Amino acid sequence: MNNIYQPQKARVISASRESIDTVLLRFQFADKTLQKKFAYLSGQFMQIGFPGWGECPISICSSPSDSQKYFELAIRDVGQLTHKINELKSGDEAWVRGPFGNGFDTDLYAGKELILIGGGCGFVPLRPIIMDALAGRIKTKSLKIFYGCFNEDTLLFKKQYPEWNRGAELGIILEKPTANWRGEKGLITALIQKRRISPAATVVMVGPPVMYRFAIKELEAKKIKPQNIWLSLERRMYCGVGICQHCAIGPYYVCKDGPVFNYAQLKNISHAI
Amino acid sequence: MPKEGDKLHQLIAAVFRDYFVYAPVKRAGRLLTQEAKTPDEVDWSGKLAENSWKEPFLPHREKLFESRRGLLETKGEQPPVACLGMNILDLKALTLFDLVFGNDVYYQNRRQKILVIGYGADWPNSYKKSKVFSHNFKEDALEHVSFDIFIAGRKSGEPVFYSGSAAGRKLLESCRIKNFENIKFAGAVAESGPDKRMLEIKGKLERSADHYLWNNLDQICLACGKCTIACPTCFCFDLEDKVNPDDPRRDRKWGSCFYNDFSLVAGGHKELDTVKKKIFFWYYHKFARIPKEYSYVGCVSCGRCTRTCPVNIDIAKNIAKILKMK
Repeated sequence: MNNIYQPQKARVISASRESIDTVLLRFQFADKTLQKKFAYLSGQFMQIGFPGWGECPISICSSPSDSQKYFELAIRDVGQLTHKINELKSGDEAWVRGPFGNGFDTDLYAGKELILIGGGCGFVPLRPIIMDALAGRIKTKSLKIFYGCFNEDTLLFKKQYPEWNRGAELGIILEKPTANWRGEKGLITALIQKRRISPAATVVMVGPPVMYRFAIKELEAKKIKPQNIWLSLERRMYCGVGICQHCAIGPYYVCKDGPVFNYAQLKNISHAI
Repeated sequence: MPKEGDKLHQLIAAVFRDYFVYAPVKRAGRLLTQEAKTPDEVDWSGKLAENSWKEPFLPHREKLFESRRGLLETKGEQPPVACLGMNILDLKALTLFDLVFGNDVYYQNRRQKILVIGYGADWPNSYKKSKVFSHNFKEDALEHVSFDIFIAGRKSGEPVFYSGSAAGRKLLESCRIKNFENIKFAGAVAESGPDKRMLEIKGKLERSADHYLWNNLDQICLACGKCTIACPTCFCFDLEDKVNPDDPRRDRKWGSCFYNDFSLVAGGHKELDTVKKKIFFWYYHKFARIPKEYSYVGCVSCGRCTRTCPVNIDIAKNIAKILKMK
């Protein structure tokens, strides 16, 4: 019987500092046949850790089209384990399990006006969708990316903004920018208010719970139906396969039935968001 | 209860000869499921022990990996274990564990080596009369639970034996017990469908988030988690790494949804941040989420949580309140 808790060794093939507190790591499985068989969907996540340090769930942020070559994780330094991960250099090893979760159903975005809304490090799982949409692997009618962040130092994936600006409408808003910032200032909700969003748009949102509560109000004001709003949740988890119960919300497990949920699914579950 | 020379006596002697035995044993005035050294220690009153039978099936702590160099799966050798005298309600809890841990290599390796011997005193009258609130009594109960042998005690005379597996049959035959009935496991869920009472509770509990009951419990419950330890169906767990240089390891240990770090994430956010949310989470798991996932009861009505609760929270009374909802 396959051991669902057995992690595999993966090697860092490149490490770059994405922001003041976040590292972008590109991994390859030490076992090459595992890498060749590896497949995942945007929005799925890996459990990453070390012997003696435990594991934590992290969204994959590279395009599924590259899954047989490598996978990338952008990890913010918020605790002991993620601090250790932030110190990884090229050639270092970590232990991973996955992919877990349902991922985004990107087929639903075909022919639609797609709005991606990211808050803070919640922006990470949206990157593969952007990459696939701009490369034509997801055929949306149009793409708008709204990204709310604390300040310039915490912005992720900056190198890709020129490319994203060419293929999509990219809106960035900072809560506490420096005096040099020429862009928008405020919360993500202000950006949603200002920008034109069609009532028929499909919205994919990833961010902290407080962002969901306020952003959903703005989207409802724009007449977007709950069933066209998708969001990804974060919870404590251990097993990754819907047994240990830590990530349960109402009838669902974030690790197995999520982390991507339709807002209509969550609307009536107390404490879901 | 077993007398020298009778069939049950022979069976028990064989079990003690070949197995490490867990049984209800009364020591220092407390009836606990624990290691029994001799047949005389086994309690045949049919009363439920204070603790459940979880430990032999899902130990409170177990080593999953040796982590000196990488993460090496623990392949533990365990002696053959017999769980002797499991009540029908405990067999129901075990049947749920078999469903939940169906793909868990550690559970399965252990489970295959455990001989399960159920027991009912004055069977099935005792079951019919017991205060079961979470499901309905059914005549074919034994067909839908996991066991190797079931001993149906009677008010007078020798008990009736049932076999529930090839291993059970073999053992009964080796003890020259010929009059036993073979029970074929017909799946955890009856062909007629999931238990109706369970479904009724599920339907109401799912809609009960705003019920006054949760506000009341919020004021009373200490969130001590004793109920989750006593409960035979509570199986939440944590994975925990130990860096002890002599034995570095990744363990699995029992968790409790009442403990403060249960839903804590890096950065400090905690989803279950009030007692009300915690106790609702606990009831929801038993009476809604498990029935939805497995079409099977998440509470077997053993009443251990009520018995152990330091502030007298009575699960049967609370479910009765939920059932009064329109």
